[in-house]
Amino acid sequence: MRIGVCIKQVPDTDAHPRIADSGDHIDDDDLSWVISSCDLCALEEALLLVEAVEEEEGGIDRPELVVFSLGPARVEEALRKALALGVDRAVHLEDAAFRGGDAMADGRALAAAVDREGCDLVLAGAQSDDLGQAATPAVIAGTLGRPYAWLVIAVELDAASRSVRAVRELEGGMNEVLRLELPAVLAVQAGINKPRFASLRGTLQARRKPLEKVDCAMLGVEPGQVGKAGARIETMAVRVPPTGGGGLRIAGDAAEAAAELLAHLEREALL
Amino acid sequence: MSRQEPLVWIVENVGSGPGSRETLVCAQLLGSDPRLARLDEDRLGPYSPGVFAKALGALIASGSRERKSRSTVVLLPHTYQVAEFAPRLALLLGAAYIPSISGVHRDGEGGLRFRRSILQARLEAEVRPRARTIVATVQSGAFSSDETPAPPRQVVEVCLPADMEPRPEREILGREAASAGGVDLAGAERIVTAGRGVGGADQVSVAADLAAALDAELGASRPVVDNGWLPREHQVGSSGHLVAPKLYVALGVSGSIQHLMGMSGSRVIVAVNTDPEAPIFSLAHYGIVGDLHDVAPALTGLLNERAGR
Ligand SMILES: Cc1cc2nc3c(=O)[nH]c(=O)nc-3n(C[C@H](O)[C@H](O)[C@H](O)COP(=O)(O)OP(=O)(O)OC[C@H]3O[C@@H](n4cnc5c(N)ncnc54)[C@H](O)[C@@H]3O)c2cc1C
Ligand SMILES: Nc1ncnc2c1ncn2[C@@H]1O[C@H](COP(=O)(O)O)[C@@H](O)[C@H]1O
Repeated sequence: MRIGVCIKQVPDTDAHPRIADSGDHIDDDDLSWVISSCDLCALEEALLLVEAVEEEEGGIDRPELVVFSLGPARVEEALRKALALGVDRAVHLEDAAFRGGDAMADGRALAAAVDREGCDLVLAGAQSDDLGQAATPAVIAGTLGRPYAWLVIAVELDAASRSVRAVRELEGGMNEVLRLELPAVLAVQAGINKPRFASLRGTLQARRKPLEKVDCAMLGVEPGQVGKAGARIETMAVRVPPTGGGGLRIAGDAAEAAAELLAHLEREALL
Repeated sequence: MSRQEPLVWIVENVGSGPGSRETLVCAQLLGSDPRLARLDEDRLGPYSPGVFAKALGALIASGSRERKSRSTVVLLPHTYQVAEFAPRLALLLGAAYIPSISGVHRDGEGGLRFRRSILQARLEAEVRPRARTIVATVQSGAFSSDETPAPPRQVVEVCLPADMEPRPEREILGREAASAGGVDLAGAERIVTAGRGVGGADQVSVAADLAAALDAELGASRPVVDNGWLPREHQVGSSGHLVAPKLYVALGVSGSIQHLMGMSGSRVIVAVNTDPEAPIFSLAHYGIVGDLHDVAPALTGLLNERAGR
């Protein structure tokens, strides 16, 4: 059994991104990069699945864990971090042809990589913190013709029947319980577990774990199908959304602002 | 891209959540008399992403063939069910997939441009489709109109194509209620909500103290709950409580669409945030740009003074 996890490296959301002079992308230079929050939960869930098998069967048939990320050289840091957390191997999809993809293009490339490794179960994040398309894992599933669920909040592996039991979040305070046959793709919602921190030992071990770089040729994908060439959407401009339309801005130090706010609330008979 | 009006489909009955009225308003902006495609489990069998995408895809593709020269736009409300199967629909159609759009207009040459939030609503992007068929999901709350648009004249029930077996790719074992709690947020007149900006479990008390001084219930954004700083029953938003109190005080909440969906109906909204560009400010009736760790205790102090506490 092999479990794959797709992680995306995204700009730290606490940092303020600067828009490039061209106006159609954000400046990469002075950003700090992190693993997207849902993906950390997907990683943790995969580690928990492996540990559950280890406990039950004493380490026999322990699933292998492979992490995938598509992106430029900086992405290696995210992959090393995943290795430090306990993942066995990393696959870095790195090729100039991968630049500028959308969910369709990136999903197709990731699908080829996942297929090449023969992953029985693929976990991904429900939604990336930067583009928030909520679509890449669905494209992976669709390309490979595999069962799929989005917004998964619990996963149980049943190796004997080669299936997973997954709980999917619905609107209005309801959940749906599903059974999916393997191979399957699950997109994990944020907050379903507490992602662990890497130990010093894990970090040292990570340096010796295999990290493979793969390009279009190795994946057998046409360069025209991925990256900007394969993307079906193009970003023409990015901007700070207008924050107008709001009500009154109260200025002053904390004490003054607090007093003024209370005066307004009192006038509106809200106290 | 031609100046010709696109063939517009709106899609109905796709899970609970926001309705299709907004897709209709959006369709009007595209200047078209839209067709309505209705998805119904009685015809299609129990929902699964693969089956719904294929059945709808077959209908859209045949409509596009019949109108060779025009582009096609498929508009769906951005519900949890749609977000699950719509990318698959786009993949089948070789379409541009543009999720959670908040605006649409035409560029100088008459080509379509769509607006959507990125980086958790810190920025917005203007996106151009590069395919003749476009599948776009409509962000809840983004398109409103005082007039109710006329319902589409052409309504098509989506059926399973003759050559397709309704084999769901997954089995539904059941439904269960997510954990319910004893916090009466839905009926509360005043709510003070702790966002991720409070900074930690040990600091939630600044929000709790203000809530007590205002005689308000304590709310939380999702990350506050996900991090275990407050129990799930405090969560406000699309996957938490939907609330509409007289007074809603958001402390360190950025104002993501999922949060706004749960509280935008509040009568008076107060926001305290260090970031003057936080989206919550465009909704807030009173906004204070500042550190909640200064502002909230100042408010609590003044309120307690007033009450003689
Ligand atoms: C399917 C789905 C469902 C979801 N459902 C919900 C839901 O029901 N409810 C919900 O809330 N979210 C929900 N989310 C998550 C949502 O997308 C956002 O991630 C979340 O609302 C952000 O919470 P936040 O504003 O507390 O945190 P952030 O976005 O991180 O914002 C924190 C804010 O605090 C400010 N800040 C930091 N320090 C201070 C300080 N000292 N003083 C003042 N301000 C400070 C920052 O400037 C920032 O604006 C959902 C997401 C998905 C994908
Ligand atoms: N470049 C990438 N490399 C690896 N995984 C990705 C990449 N882009 C998206 N994903 C996965 O797809 C999920 C959803 O991304 P998105 O469709 O952009 O919202 C992410 O949380 C990741 O798990």
